[in-house]
Amino acid sequence: MILKRTEFMARTNIDEQTLETWLSEQWLVPVEEASDEAFTDADIARAQLIRELNHDLGVNQAGISVALHLLDQLHGLRRAVYELRQIKPRG
Amino acid sequence: MLKNPYEILGVSKSASADDIRSAYRKLAKKLHPDLNPGDKKAEERFKEISVANDLLSDNEKRAKFDAGVIDAVGNEKPQQQRQYYRDYAGAGAGRGKANPNYESASAFSDLDGMDDIMAQIYAQQAHARRNAKGTDVRYHLNIPFLDAVTGATQRLNLPDGTTIDVKIPAGIETGRIIRLKGKGQPSQGAGGSGDALVEVTVLAHPHFTRVGDDLLLELSVSIKEAALGGPVKTPTAAGSVMLNIPAGSNAGTQLRLKGKGVAGRGDQLVKLRVVLPQRSDQQLNDFLKTWTPAFEDDLRKEFQP
Repeated sequence: MILKRTEFMARTNIDEQTLETWLSEQWLVPVEEASDEAFTDADIARAQLIRELNHDLGVNQAGISVALHLLDQLHGLRRAVYELRQIKPRG
Repeated sequence: MLKNPYEILGVSKSASADDIRSAYRKLAKKLHPDLNPGDKKAEERFKEISVANDLLSDNEKRAKFDAGVIDAVGNEKPQQQRQYYRDYAGAGAGRGKANPNYESASAFSDLDGMDDIMAQIYAQQAHARRNAKGTDVRYHLNIPFLDAVTGATQRLNLPDGTTIDVKIPAGIETGRIIRLKGKGQPSQGAGGSGDALVEVTVLAHPHFTRVGDDLLLELSVSIKEAALGGPVKTPTAAGSVMLNIPAGSNAGTQLRLKGKGVAGRGDQLVKLRVVLPQRSDQQLNDFLKTWTPAFEDDLRKEFQP
């Protein structure tokens, strides 16, 4: 599912100013599509995570940047491990 | 037994709102599923502390719970299965699902040769795909009843104009699939062709029916043949045979031709149907008028009150 900016704000229940902050912090990096931002389900789930880190867990702005940066590396690593496991050793 | 929300969060009954919030935060930081991408159990435990927190952070609900009016999940809203961010990232996600702007390879970019390993992985996967067996192709084939009983070879016309001779094993039944090795789509590489899968429908026969491995046939006989007996030409799946009718065979009598069933396994059962001559036979009628049966059977005695 591809969402435009306004649809994305409605779905995630965040306002324009918050979205601008998140984009400038690069917590959210929507895919560019035909010179327009395109938000996906992955972005919706990520926005929900950011909101919970902030509101529910009391993580401040600096903490969220650190957490997301580490998470992105962790997921990159997890994918690499997963793909390594898909390979059968050459016989 | 439902767990007590105070126990779940590890606070006392007299805990303040601040105590509860900080207890919840402390646990949530450890248990949030997105902070534990590989731990399936984290989600369960996170749900548990979330429910406890929902209850205890709401003064009204907390009071009701303390008073015993609602139970520990009394006010839990029906929750839809939530998709966490981890479901869209890393090992859990397909490439199409993830947003490629997030995942980063910097965690292993300092490991010598890791790029080479990943490149090799992709090359190997592409190679595997190329050399995979060609796809199987499905066909459908209607088979005459007797060919299915005795076995036969039938020609199948393929969409590309070629033909295959399909060997039909004796005794095949509707719904069975005959696999023709190597008659499917060719591989894109060296994987060999796929198979042709031919699904079989056995057509009905006007006279024969099949019950397990036995064949059933209804055979018309004249009054004379039924009464006096004698050999009668009878069709079987493997051509006609002479069937000896015992004298005094009634309508409905079932005779058995051993070994004349499906694929030599079962028998052919022949059920007799006694029929009057097609056209009225004056001689027969004259005889019957003067005929007095030797034994007066009451043919309809089962209907007597």
